[in-house]
Amino acid sequence: MPTANNTVHGRVEQARVELTPTQLAVGLALVAALGFALLFVQDPMLHDSMHNFRHAAGITCH
Amino acid sequence: MLAAYLKRGVKAGVVAGLVFGLLIAFVANPLVAFADELGHGSHAIGDNHEHATGEHHEGSGGAQHDSTVSMTVTNGVSIVSGVLWGILLGGVVFGIAYYFLEPVIPGTGGTQSYLLAVAGFITVSGAPWLVLSPQRLGAEQALPAELRSMLYGGMMVAGAFVCLLAGFVYDRLRDTHGRPTATIVAMLSLGLLAIPAALSPVNAVESSLPSELASGLTGTIVFGQALLWLLLAGTHARLRRRSMDTGPAAIATDPTDGTLSAD
Repeated sequence: MPTANNTVHGRVEQARVELTPTQLAVGLALVAALGFALLFVQDPMLHDSMHNFRHAAGITCH
Repeated sequence: MLAAYLKRGVKAGVVAGLVFGLLIAFVANPLVAFADELGHGSHAIGDNHEHATGEHHEGSGGAQHDSTVSMTVTNGVSIVSGVLWGILLGGVVFGIAYYFLEPVIPGTGGTQSYLLAVAGFITVSGAPWLVLSPQRLGAEQALPAELRSMLYGGMMVAGAFVCLLAGFVYDRLRDTHGRPTATIVAMLSLGLLAIPAALSPVNAVESSLPSELASGLTGTIVFGQALLWLLLAGTHARLRRRSMDTGPAAIATDPTDGTLSAD
């Protein structure tokens, strides 16, 4: 079963069967929230807290 | 099946993220604090600051870099962010992206993990760094912050696109023209990144740091990210090999702590 669908299309199809839309939405929301918070939020409080991390990761900063 | 892939990706992310968190705790936190102090603080510190103003480091801990939060908070949140960064990259790149792209990534076994790591590094760090240099401590920059965020995001998209294109080109040419040609052309297609890099507005940076310190910081940043991706790939390749050893049934039935429970 796992190796039967060895194309990207097959993987997409299988994911569509396995995942409910809710799971998909929750997953996407989590990833988007975490990614946005770590990379792009410029709010002074958050920004200054993550100051050292952003510099260490070479992410655009102040 | 996707759940098993995601689990492996997040596990690799936890390992790499913890190491990256340690790197932040022991290298980046003190280094950034020192560079900030040097960049924003008094410019009276001469070349002999190491000997002459030795007490300067201990003395003015929280005074520099007009921050809204305390030094302790910055250090702590930065470490946690570093761990989360690893988990995010592990989950997204080695969990989700690997699940969908596994059939088309060239190579077998561990090679796939390392190739994916290279693509991830180019997407997340390499491509944006072509436009915005990684080292911006104590620097005056020409472009406003919003525009720089957009540029960073835009270059990430460009990086992902170019990496996918390289994989696509390799797959197409491998059968008709052989492996070496396919590899070379795929590498050349990465050079397309030069186009958006050349077209984007120039971010002129005026740094007040000594050039040796600035280049040292750049090296640390690049090394940190390279290390992160190397750890991600290494851990992922190892986890994958182990799951292969326990048999494909273990992947198919969503293993609970490695026990082959027949459901």
